[in-house]
Amino acid sequence: MHIDVKKEIKRSNIGRAGLSLLLLVVVIAVLAPLLSSYDPVQQSAGSLLSPSGSHWLGTNHVGQDIWSQLIYGARTSLLVGFSVGIISLLLGILFGVSAALVGGLYDKIVMRIVDALIVIPMVIVVILVAAYIKPDLPVLILLLSVLSWQGGARVIRAQTLSLKESGHVNVSRTFGASRLYVAWRHIIPDLGPILLVEFIYGVRRAVFIEAGLAFLGIGDPMLISWGMMMRDAMSFSYLNVWQWWLVPAGVALSLTIIGLTFVSHAAESVLDPRLRGAEVA
Amino acid sequence: MLNKRNLITYGIAFLIIIALNFLMPRMMPGDPLMAIYGDEALVAMTPEFKAQLVEGFALDKPLWQQFGAYVLALFQGDMGYSYYYNASVFNVIMGSLPWTLLVVGSSLVLSTLIGIVLGIESGWRRGSRTDRTMLAGLMSLNGFPDFFLGLVLLIVFGILLGVAPLSGALTPYSGLSGLTLLLDVLRHMALPVAALTLAHLAGGYLLTRNTMITVLKAPFMLTARAKGLSQKALKYRHAGRNSMLPVLTVTGIWLGRVVTGALFVELVFAYPGVGYLTYQALLTRDYPLIQGVFLIVTIAVLIANFAVDLLYPKLDPRVSYAH
Repeated sequence: MHIDVKKEIKRSNIGRAGLSLLLLVVVIAVLAPLLSSYDPVQQSAGSLLSPSGSHWLGTNHVGQDIWSQLIYGARTSLLVGFSVGIISLLLGILFGVSAALVGGLYDKIVMRIVDALIVIPMVIVVILVAAYIKPDLPVLILLLSVLSWQGGARVIRAQTLSLKESGHVNVSRTFGASRLYVAWRHIIPDLGPILLVEFIYGVRRAVFIEAGLAFLGIGDPMLISWGMMMRDAMSFSYLNVWQWWLVPAGVALSLTIIGLTFVSHAAESVLDPRLRGAEVA
Repeated sequence: MLNKRNLITYGIAFLIIIALNFLMPRMMPGDPLMAIYGDEALVAMTPEFKAQLVEGFALDKPLWQQFGAYVLALFQGDMGYSYYYNASVFNVIMGSLPWTLLVVGSSLVLSTLIGIVLGIESGWRRGSRTDRTMLAGLMSLNGFPDFFLGLVLLIVFGILLGVAPLSGALTPYSGLSGLTLLLDVLRHMALPVAALTLAHLAGGYLLTRNTMITVLKAPFMLTARAKGLSQKALKYRHAGRNSMLPVLTVTGIWLGRVVTGALFVELVFAYPGVGYLTYQALLTRDYPLIQGVFLIVTIAVLIANFAVDLLYPKLDPRVSYAH
């Protein structure tokens, strides 16, 4: 397991491309106020203007600057993505590691619930719940996290089971280390690469679902989001505004997801050494 | 295979679905009747009718008795009444389900088949330029959300080129029949199916390619090569067939994803399936309908997963020996 994940990702072309894309989106999100002189929610000019020197991507149907909406949309996507990624990963570690270490009936119960959650299509659950509670940003993040830890928990449990039998863990146990100490000191650090891959999966899924929900019109209408921009732009697709309104939002969303996919693919080759060398070039 | 573990898993999944559907409207603040029946119902509400509904749902009783009444109604096939459509939820959904099944079924078959073939070809040439291009290309395609792909296809083929219809599943009031009707249906489903197929192609491709790389190193491949078999027989009959198996195990889970994808794509093309129905139900807050869609879609996905579990040992006999 002692392979440097960061090195592995940087070694492959796909990994480097993914990292660069992600870095670009992060920089844009962080520097958003510097990159645009307009407030994304304030009406700044007439509606449905074509791109010009002052409004690079024109304005939307209510006169908001599309370029500022685009760069502030990166903030929403990344905030939802990374928060859900971290929380669902923590839940996955909690249930995966504990199931493997405690074993017995507890393990059986947790794993049956995990399996059950895996076969239920989660987006539809989110739609049902969101239809009732109209989630704002924190609630949406919690909702998505609670519904997306199960895949990670299963993988983490499997890996913990094999680590549990390895030499250094046995030695630690014979020296009288408690289960909690072993989990914290030996198991979780050795799960490293798997945690990274599961985290990126979680981020990608959350970015995707957030955009989808906003596209369906569920969620906070005050939140600037790429999904919402596409939804608004779709109603005007018979005009030529899609060129600077719909397409940039869709491309920004797609590039973010592609960046995440590339990085997770490069990191996966760390987990499955049989795949290594297949595309190192 | 039909073992105890699977039965328990599907039992729990079923319970979670039923419990969500039961609890969501009842945990909402305010009048549960409104949350169960939606805004439209309140317009038609008379005191007698209200009393009848409260009685029917046992809303004045404790929660567990309400649950009993709910489950009983479900098993009698009563999924509620949509006041927006003025029809039973079951009938409304059955009206749109065939269109969704048509689109989801076609794209599931197409994306799986194309994905497997591309995966075999790519894995066979692993590390080559073709393989790397296909890998990068398909992974990029994977990043495009299905509804964005749908919108792009709609703009290019529907608006700019004008070769595909912009919305719907049929030309309205055209009175077509026979072969022309079939062509009309195909013309309308082409873009939604293309969007879903492209969006879900990468899953089958990546899985097949990964398995292919492993299978190619298996000893039986060396034997097959030593026997002097042709490249094609090696690639498809020996390596390819074994690389398909993992794809088949996850078809059930993919079905869930494609169905979800269809919800979004149907909205783009105003295709009159369950997805478009859901969208309209969300707009009009037709809660009984949203609940009905949730129930039917999730249970359909459960049944599909269950079927895959049952079928899999027949396709790969090694699985039954392993237990």
